[in-house]
Amino acid sequence: MERSEKMFFKNIIANFKKYKFLLKQLVSRDFKVKYKRSVLGVAWSLLNPLLTMAVLAIVFSQMFKFSVPGVNYLVYLLTGLVFFNYFSEATNLAMGSVTSNATLISKVYIPKYIFPLSKTLFVGINFLLTLIPLYIIILVTGDPAEGTRCTITWLHLLLPFAFLCLFLFTTGLGMLLSTIAVFFRDIFYIFGILISLWMYLTPIMYDLSIIPESLHVIFKLNPLYWFIDFARQIILYNQFPTGNCWLWCALSAVVVFIIGLVVFKKKQDKFIYYV
Amino acid sequence: MIKLENVGIKFNLGIERNYSFKQLFVDLLKGKRKKKQPEFWALKNIDLDIKKGEVVGLIGTNGAGKSTLLKVVAGVMKPTEGKVSVSGGISPMIELGAGFDMDLTARENIFLNASVLGYSEDFVKSKFNEIVEFSELHDFIDVPVRNFSSGMVARLAFSIATIVEPEILIVDEILGVGDVAFQAKSEAKMMDMIKGGTTVLYVSHNIESIKKICDRVVWLDHGKIIKIGDPVTICDEYRNKIMK
Repeated sequence: MERSEKMFFKNIIANFKKYKFLLKQLVSRDFKVKYKRSVLGVAWSLLNPLLTMAVLAIVFSQMFKFSVPGVNYLVYLLTGLVFFNYFSEATNLAMGSVTSNATLISKVYIPKYIFPLSKTLFVGINFLLTLIPLYIIILVTGDPAEGTRCTITWLHLLLPFAFLCLFLFTTGLGMLLSTIAVFFRDIFYIFGILISLWMYLTPIMYDLSIIPESLHVIFKLNPLYWFIDFARQIILYNQFPTGNCWLWCALSAVVVFIIGLVVFKKKQDKFIYYV
Repeated sequence: MIKLENVGIKFNLGIERNYSFKQLFVDLLKGKRKKKQPEFWALKNIDLDIKKGEVVGLIGTNGAGKSTLLKVVAGVMKPTEGKVSVSGGISPMIELGAGFDMDLTARENIFLNASVLGYSEDFVKSKFNEIVEFSELHDFIDVPVRNFSSGMVARLAFSIATIVEPEILIVDEILGVGDVAFQAKSEAKMMDMIKGGTTVLYVSHNIESIKKICDRVVWLDHGKIIKIGDPVTICDEYRNKIMK
């Protein structure tokens, strides 16, 4: 058994080299198919987040008059939102990635982890594109007189760490969900509800300071809180992220990724009988 | 080249594919949570040794386990028991075009499908023209496959699948693709590969073509090997048996 574990990781690396091209093709297929029949095409991947952000910005800062003291609320809101949107879209697509490729799985041998991974990568590229409108908003909104205009410092170079943790966490959860989905289709509905609950339990639109101190511990069990907090400390407060924050980001990302990988590996040979 | 030792594959026929909470509650109320599923062995006690360059035909009625056997060799299914060892690159032609995306053009699908089959990017680029030429689809290369006829899809898929010279070729009843001219062309292509020393596992209901190209024939029935041996003798015996 131990030998097969070793073989598994060796195989993953060899497989990865061999199937890099497939991964690339699957990601680019998703792109092509997504925009194929629209007039504006790939421009939508920039326009779409920009317009969605505009809607939310108007709703929350103008209609509901939400704010977080001392910072540019728009940037506060959108930072959280960009992270959460990645998480929500990527987990949803990854969850269905194995079941929707049933014909392929039963006809050709392909390492199956490619499917959830290609989805989290595909949404990842979209995520990187949404950083462009986000940075435009960071640069042009806020009032310099009130000190709410954000400045970009070298600390921004640390942000990829938060992206990487978010990616690992999402991929791990995606593998786990795609495995569950093979045996238990109800997960699609259950997770749909869970994710909207998750969204409200993550401080995206509000700040943790409005929640009673005694409940903070519950909010801090949420890895997404830490990823977003990491980014906000840098973007909004020009602050080197706290040690606590580094630790929780890395720990939750790695642990969830490994759980996802192990569960996926244990069950993958049974997929073919159920998809 | 290919060695199967005591291979068995078990399916749960009574499997409830979309097991839901409702079902769970019903089962709980009825008190038969662990219902015993009827067992079904799609393959049982299969021993087979295929040497390099051999052309082996599989015959048997529908549901005899021919395709399952191919899937085991191709690595798509892991056997429930027994051992499978395969050395050499495999090109599975189990179902042509399984990896096609109907919304993409033929050009895009060539790259996608080739990557599914495990070819490298440089290799596909260098063989791209050859694939298009063999499929005779020059004029439709930038048309979405959704608008292709099924014959055209099969042509494209066949051209991609046979562009490599694999050490092992797995063919499941696919030589009937396309029009008469393309059928002749694809058969010629396969004969070329066989002459080139490719090991072939071939499933067909066309007894004549089995007799023509195979060195050995395996007769399967209900997941078990009935007989292995000379194509002409076994094919005739098989035909007499099922025609009764």
